Amino acid sequence: MTLQDLTVLICDDSMFARKKLNMAIAAMGVGKIFEAADGAEAIEKFDQYKPDVVFMDIIMPKVTGIDALKAIIANHPDAKIVMASSVGTQGHLKDALKAGAADFLQKPITDEDAKKILENAAKGVL
Amino acid sequence: MFAQFFGGYLLNKGLVNSDDLTTAIEDKKNTRMRLGVLAINAGLMTAQQVEHVNITQQSVDKRFGDLAVELGYVTNDDIERLLSQQPTDYLLLGQTLVNNGVLTNSQFESAINAYKAETQFSDEDMNDNQNEVLSRVINDFYHFDSAENARIYTDYVTLLFKNVIRFIGDDFTPLKSRMVREYQAKNFVKQEFSGSYNSVACICADNDAYKGLAERFSKESFTEIDDFVDATIGEFLNVVDGLFAVNESNEYGVELTMNPQEIIKDTKVELSKSGFCIPVQFLFGTVDFIICNQ
Repeated sequence: MTLQDLTVLICDDSMFARKKLNMAIAAMGVGKIFEAADGAEAIEKFDQYKPDVVFMDIIMPKVTGIDALKAIIANHPDAKIVMASSVGTQGHLKDALKAGAADFLQKPITDEDAKKILENAAKGVL
Repeated sequence: MFAQFFGGYLLNKGLVNSDDLTTAIEDKKNTRMRLGVLAINAGLMTAQQVEHVNITQQSVDKRFGDLAVELGYVTNDDIERLLSQQPTDYLLLGQTLVNNGVLTNSQFESAINAYKAETQFSDEDMNDNQNEVLSRVINDFYHFDSAENARIYTDYVTLLFKNVIRFIGDDFTPLKSRMVREYQAKNFVKQEFSGSYNSVACICADNDAYKGLAERFSKESFTEIDDFVDATIGEFLNVVDGLFAVNESNEYGVELTMNPQEIIKDTKVELSKSGFCIPVQFLFGTVDFIICNQ
């Protein structure tokens, strides 16, 4: 699989964070990018688009990123969900990994961080 | 970060005005250090001796260092040592203020000596950007010791300034803090922490400064303040607050959770307890950062 074949879902309540990450990964050649503005929308869009990779913020209104992660993993145990949060505290890290997150990125996410994740996903090693 | 806080000190003491300081911050990148200012800073020459060499240079075609040695003010070794030093940012600021005629050599001499005496910083400290030294600069500048939980204020504000430098730029001057209980805001972004303790962190600014801050963080330009500009400022606050929560968790085992940011417009905001308002003057305007530990 190449980056172009990937479908990516970006979940973040910050319009700014979504746009920046969307632009960065679009420039890397990712073919399909979808966005969700809260945890509830993330669950819904996951079911709809079955993305190869999800970038998931933690602090979001309605449903938090951790709860959305749990809900998605419950139905799709192989989902590749990368937590992308400003709050990589020990507590959040532990919760996220226990709930099945594939990786954890501390915000602000650099282009290199995002690229590494996507390349690993394309190679099937995320 | 000494340059910014030394600038703030000069401003607080009324030794420079805001316009002159702003100009100097802009001019600083093209400034080359001169031996005179380096020698004054190192305590090797007085301002009077530097002036004497400068005046003598008008009638004798010799370099500053050679003349200073001939006149017996310094040795060749002193000059070599000064020349081998990396120019530090606060000295470049001082040199620029001298070049621009804002400060005389002698005013620079008294200011730098008074600053070092007041803050008890050594030359080594001022060449060092270690966290511990930065925290001391910040604690001294804002007198956080007067507050309960001084450690939290010092750590938060130290991290804030590091991130301002990282994401916004180093061309700012910290202004004197004040305590606030309520704030009449044009644009107000607020984020609450809860957990081991409760705190609130805010960014407030008028339209120009708010837009300017958002432009720097996003590296885009904006014509008006819309939801995207609000989201940009919100994300800057979120990044700073998140890194703070991570440090608290890693260094002190303090677990904090953060709420989504709130955007408030044209309203008087009341805090549940007095907080520190930290104004920072940028080239695009002044931004107030508020931190309140409850």
